[in-house]
Amino acid sequence: MTTLRPFTCNDMYKFNNVNLDPLTETYGLSFYMQYLAHWPEYFQVAESPSGEIMGYIMGKAEGHGENWHGHVTALTVSPEYRRLGVAATLMNFLEDVSEKKRAYFVDLFVRVSNKVAINMYTNLGYIVYRTVLEYYSGDPDEDAYDMRKACSRDVKQKSVIPLKNPVRPEDVE
Amino acid sequence: MASKLHVQDNSVVERRLRPIYEWLDSGNNKKALQECDKVLKKTPNLLCAKALKALSILRMGRESECMSILDSLIEDGSGDDATLQAMTLCYRELQQQEQICTLYENAVKIDPVNEEFHTQLFMSYVRIGDFKLQQQSALNLYKLKPKNPYYCWAVMSVVQQATRGSGEFDSSKRNVLLSLAERMIDKLISENKLEAEQEVQLYLMILELQNKFEDALQVLNGPLAEKIVCMCSSANFYKLPYLTKLRKWSDINLICKGILIESMDRWDIWKKYIISVFELMKVNVNEHPEENHTNGESDLEYIDDTPEKAHEFICRLVENGDDNGYLRGPYLARFELCSKLILHGIDSNDLLGDTMQLFIEYFRKFGHKSCCVSDLRIYLYLLDGERRIELANRLIKDVGISSTSVPQSEQQMQRHLCSLQLSRLCSNHRNLSSDHLAALVTAFSLHYQHGYQTYGLNLLFTDQGPSDPYAILAAHILYDLAELTQSSKPIITALVLLDNLLKNSPCCFNAKLLSIRLFHTIGAGIGAHQMYDILDIKHLQMDSLGYSHCARLPTTGLLTLTATLLDSTLKFFSSNYKDSSDHLTFCYKYGSFIKLDDFMDFREKLNNSFHYTMVAVDRIILNIVQCVSIDSLYNTNILPKDNNIEWEKLRDNHDLSVYISWDPERIEGVAEDSQEIKNLFTQNVQFLKLRTHILWSLSASINIIKSHESTKNSCIDTLKGVVKDWADIYYKISSTKSVPIKQNLVTLPLPSRLHSHLNCRYFEILGQLFNLFVNIAVEDTTNCSTIVTDVENNFKCLTNEVVEGVEQQNQSSDCYWKRRSVLETVVNAVEIISLSATICLLCNDLAKPPQNKKSKKKVDATTKCVLNNLASVIKNELNTVDSCLESWTLPDKFDLSDRLALLNLSANGQNSVLDNIVNSHTTAVKELRTLLKAKLKTLSG
Repeated sequence: MTTLRPFTCNDMYKFNNVNLDPLTETYGLSFYMQYLAHWPEYFQVAESPSGEIMGYIMGKAEGHGENWHGHVTALTVSPEYRRLGVAATLMNFLEDVSEKKRAYFVDLFVRVSNKVAINMYTNLGYIVYRTVLEYYSGDPDEDAYDMRKACSRDVKQKSVIPLKNPVRPEDVE
Repeated sequence: MASKLHVQDNSVVERRLRPIYEWLDSGNNKKALQECDKVLKKTPNLLCAKALKALSILRMGRESECMSILDSLIEDGSGDDATLQAMTLCYRELQQQEQICTLYENAVKIDPVNEEFHTQLFMSYVRIGDFKLQQQSALNLYKLKPKNPYYCWAVMSVVQQATRGSGEFDSSKRNVLLSLAERMIDKLISENKLEAEQEVQLYLMILELQNKFEDALQVLNGPLAEKIVCMCSSANFYKLPYLTKLRKWSDINLICKGILIESMDRWDIWKKYIISVFELMKVNVNEHPEENHTNGESDLEYIDDTPEKAHEFICRLVENGDDNGYLRGPYLARFELCSKLILHGIDSNDLLGDTMQLFIEYFRKFGHKSCCVSDLRIYLYLLDGERRIELANRLIKDVGISSTSVPQSEQQMQRHLCSLQLSRLCSNHRNLSSDHLAALVTAFSLHYQHGYQTYGLNLLFTDQGPSDPYAILAAHILYDLAELTQSSKPIITALVLLDNLLKNSPCCFNAKLLSIRLFHTIGAGIGAHQMYDILDIKHLQMDSLGYSHCARLPTTGLLTLTATLLDSTLKFFSSNYKDSSDHLTFCYKYGSFIKLDDFMDFREKLNNSFHYTMVAVDRIILNIVQCVSIDSLYNTNILPKDNNIEWEKLRDNHDLSVYISWDPERIEGVAEDSQEIKNLFTQNVQFLKLRTHILWSLSASINIIKSHESTKNSCIDTLKGVVKDWADIYYKISSTKSVPIKQNLVTLPLPSRLHSHLNCRYFEILGQLFNLFVNIAVEDTTNCSTIVTDVENNFKCLTNEVVEGVEQQNQSSDCYWKRRSVLETVVNAVEIISLSATICLLCNDLAKPPQNKKSKKKVDATTKCVLNNLASVIKNELNTVDSCLESWTLPDKFDLSDRLALLNLSANGQNSVLDNIVNSHTTAVKELRTLLKAKLKTLSG
């Protein structure tokens, strides 16, 4: 049960129940503000009937030519509201927007250890396009999967042919 | 000249400058400065290198040197883009936004066709919020390069004048401006030039602001709607707000039904649908029934204008929907329908049956989901007190866990948790005896351990433990128990329980938040600080969550820790203050005009944060308290936020909703809206005002000492005025006799520091000392001894309170229960002593004859005598407080092992928590005594 609405600045004061979870990063203000100003349609909140933030998605559209695509920068759901399809609802929304922007595909990065998330993206139709070595800094650094799903514009599904070899973060656009 | 040079050997210049940028980016300002000097040796006229030198120097903290380079650059006149940008950065960091405007005003004069300069000029006006100049410069830009975005910048600048400028409080001006903005867009449309999505959104916004909802609807029905990319398929959804304003309930009803048939989990749409049903019903009753609701073929051919039809619609969706087990929409919609029936005075039983049955059915279907509690919470108000208790008992019975059994599956455990949480919400834990509460704690603690052993062992470090809520619930009840029995033992037990929980689930943030609160409840700052640390609070969370810790740590006597905490908090606020005007320019850059209002509100909310202001004031006062020499005081800025506090606009940004709560009060709404929290905020603002007066008085006193003969009198008048204002608000505030907020809920904050502040006679002592200062300044010693006697008497009352408080603590069998408030009094007393010492030294300085005068006039004998008296009064009180602190010990024996054994918790946990508390105590005592010794030294020096 969800009310989907655009993310507002004030939500940053109210997303603590989501962001205090260890897998969700809290970024500097400018980061959120850039996304809100540049891609407001890609920044959505799922609100519960009681008015709490259940989760949110943050994304953007970028790339040239056949690389024009939607990107999921952050997707997160509060522990209390997991396994209710909230993430899928948010992903559908972002895919819809990307379709309307005539993107070729949607992509996202995920920690290779985050089995739950990888599983969920797989169920939503995403494939592992490539591995990005040591993408997440930490101790030790962790690899990322670059996962993709083709949009209808990519009729031949060219964007989702997996790469055989892993790449370095600097090779990722 | 420099720009020519720049053109001539662009690549050479770039190569030379690059290392400077790199050093600056990596924060190595010293290296950057060296590199600048190197480049300037080779090319002394390279303006950009000069500007970068200014920036490097500024970032090394040498403000005035930076300013003089900037001034010389301005005299030199023109600069290239890079130079201007470096200068812009300087002015930004100096917080002199107006200078950036001047910079680019000059630049466009010299190079009137430079698009970049015009753009920067426009953005500089955005930063200072001068909407009129924004409009002008955007139009100039449009004349130079007729691009749509520039035109829309001008339009939006007009809108801002209407909503936040001259039209804000003048409706006729507002109308004129908005209709101008509309005509400006109309012009674009008539010329067929309106293209981008953002431009259409701007148009819709202008129509909305004028309440022209019909026109807005027409836009959405017309060709322009196609430009709004993200709305093509769901245009109907975007019409809903306009249709609501126009009260077109039939349309709303049909649109909502359409959306719900597609996706029945859209809660906003359900709410709107049900509102429309009741609105249509009113129309039907008042006028003739409409004919369109006879037997339509499909749902979308007729409107639902009675609760019966709505109920049928809901039931149909339930029946037809693919039940994947989590689509709660239609089930919750029945509650919404029920609530509206009751609101309209219609018996809901006929249509929906017994309301309680709705709850039980919902629980049976979704009780294994943790969200079930917050779903049902919003409708618990439909049941009265007795029925709630009945519901609680029925739910617990429904789950079937008795006092002797444990859940047989993870799902059953979740259902059990859900029933317990709802039961607490239904007041089932109120009015229980302490034995009963203790029994609940034991049961929940054992359930926690069973759940952990059975379902929680092989989880990832980042997972929440499935049985964690049992422990949180137990901790809440332990707090109830502490309040009921007025004892600290349950609080420490709760801390041990949470400590144990965090060992198993290191990422349970609810346990950390709760521990911060509990540690502060007994005045144990170090424990609270450790919890705050592992919460890993970042960026905006400093504002939304920082209060929980920053509001209390300064009262715990942990001076070093407090200074660190306040510094890191202030760093966030001040760096953000510099950035926040840039965020507004993003909106123009990307044309997201719809976000601009939101951005501006946010900026105001952040900059007027009460918490920010409080931390700023606390930091300065702590600085003064710890100040070892009076000379350093003359060189520090002691006015918080550049003395630019907008008192009326101060905001409480503390996020209380993050505290999970199953207290019955939560049914009424969020804590932020409660009267208690509003009272707390009022008290906090009063406290802040009183505290800021200390700084204003100090600042005014210092100005008198620094002043020349010619301005001295006006400086004295200023101080008199400040002390008079202080007296006025002090008497006003103390006459209101506000009481500390209730402490019955663990999820609400601790009381305001106002109460202890008033109790500790800050004004009686410090205010009088400033009066003494005035008397010495005007060389009138008649009242001086009376003032000192008065100060002495007030000091005696204060130190008596300290001595009595500590003695009681030493004799008490429960040395933690009142520790917080005694400690707060002690810390306040130490602060007052330190500030008094400072004022005493200032008096001495003031009385000293100017050194440059030949006549060796000595300090007036009476004054000298008065000041010596004062110093000995302060020393006396200082010694009393010091020996009192020396005597303050915590008992070696404080044993909870019986209680802990009942909860199956080891005594080791007790030791680590108790060690932590004792550590807080000894550290605080040590730091306070060291401070007092230092003050004694300065007073004797």
